[in-house]
Amino acid sequence: MELIVALGLIVLKVALLIAILLLLPLPLTWLERKIAGHMQQRMGPMRVGWHGLLQPVADGIKLLTKEDHIPAEADRFLFKLAPILALAPPFVVFVAIPFGESVSVLGNEITLYVSNMNVALLFIFAVIGIEVYGVIFGGWAANSKYAVLGSLRTCAQMISYEIPMGFAVIGVVMLAQSMSLIDIVRAQADVWNVVYQPVGFFVFFVAGLAEAQRIPFDLAEAEGDLGAGFHTEYSGIRFAFFMVSEYVIMVLVSVLVVILFFGGWNGILLPLPPLLWFALKVAFFVYVFMWFRFTFPRYRYDQLMAIGWKVLLPLSLANIIITGIVLS
Amino acid sequence: MSRALERAGTWVGWAFFADLGSALALTFGYMFSRPVTMQYPDKEKWVPYSRYRGHHFLKRDEAGEIKCVACELCARICPCDCIEVVPYEDENGKRHPSKFEIDTARCLFCGLCEDACPADAIALGQQYEFSSFSSRDLVIGRDDLLAKPGKAATGGSVVAAQLNTEKIVLVETKEPRGYNWWRNIRRT
Repeated sequence: MELIVALGLIVLKVALLIAILLLLPLPLTWLERKIAGHMQQRMGPMRVGWHGLLQPVADGIKLLTKEDHIPAEADRFLFKLAPILALAPPFVVFVAIPFGESVSVLGNEITLYVSNMNVALLFIFAVIGIEVYGVIFGGWAANSKYAVLGSLRTCAQMISYEIPMGFAVIGVVMLAQSMSLIDIVRAQADVWNVVYQPVGFFVFFVAGLAEAQRIPFDLAEAEGDLGAGFHTEYSGIRFAFFMVSEYVIMVLVSVLVVILFFGGWNGILLPLPPLLWFALKVAFFVYVFMWFRFTFPRYRYDQLMAIGWKVLLPLSLANIIITGIVLS
Repeated sequence: MSRALERAGTWVGWAFFADLGSALALTFGYMFSRPVTMQYPDKEKWVPYSRYRGHHFLKRDEAGEIKCVACELCARICPCDCIEVVPYEDENGKRHPSKFEIDTARCLFCGLCEDACPADAIALGQQYEFSSFSSRDLVIGRDDLLAKPGKAATGGSVVAAQLNTEKIVLVETKEPRGYNWWRNIRRT
């Protein structure tokens, strides 16, 4: 009986998580367009619903009813596989992410995470690495030069930015003496990691920008020079899969930044509920992502590589060494 | 010495991303500035300046009589031959047009008819919203031309849009008396 209850609880949590993550891109696209508009002294969507609030719904209906086009020269199997490969890993990663300690519902303590892995960080980096395959397959299978160039760039970008990203986290792991995200947040109860690890935060954030393929590192889908990059040939719901994946990864990187460097659900000054603190911090970083997008130009390909290998990698290595020396 | 200091300052600025920071501050400031968008068909519309050449209109004199003397000079000078005038003589022996048709689908709004008119009877006014599903509807007759709005008095301002004819009720702007659109442009 207890097993069934526990299992049911997990299923319920996963279902809730998937529902939230699938619906999250709707307000995020609206927000992104609104922020873009106002930063450029425009208004953004205004006509569908109040201040364009229903615009994402209209876009969703449009994408669902559009023709699902597969190019004649495409590798049909990989072409169909790629959006799923791009969409699934970001959702799987959220299994390992805690949103808080626990809440009591009807007298029962319910934990705000699906599973408390002791290697959560490794799991996240391992699974999120699979997402790149979706992008690479998508570009390759479409048999279009723009798509191939896009996935080529993604390939190089992911390889050069996962390494500093992984190294930047090591400092945090050393401080918390654990790879479990819950332990990492608990270790930040007094002082947030960003105070001890400003360089680590910087490297992680920049690498995260590249990981989420956002401006200034969105070379994989550079509209100006590649059409739309790896998803040039995609249309309809498969294109929507890529977009949802992109937004979920953006949220994921924000969540990781908050958990690893900004104290997770630990609040300061204001005694707000922990979950609200967490949501506020994540919202702030999502906003920063959008803010960056409409402020900075895109880096050139060689500059991107130079930043990854010549700046971020040495910085993260130095960060590890200095953290080790100070800790010992 | 001071140049070296300056150079050092630049490097320090670069190291702490002063340039990126100032860019972020700029876009953040713009986010809370007033949008310059004119919500044209929905809420507001632009009143053109008085020299704007929009839809033609025919004028009346003080007695309410049509000013046009049906001399057909406008039809002669019209480069695209879109004006058709048929004169008649009223009981006082004055010439007036019995038919005055402008095919606005052909018209190029050059304003030569206005220049040629000896009686100051025809002019190009402020109206620009007369699109139609049929080019037949774009042939405007004498009585319609008499009813068209004249030249804008001041112009260059934004007023409530009236295009939404289905609702009858006009959508209103916050400033129904019109405002100067240019003041919204932020100059830094």
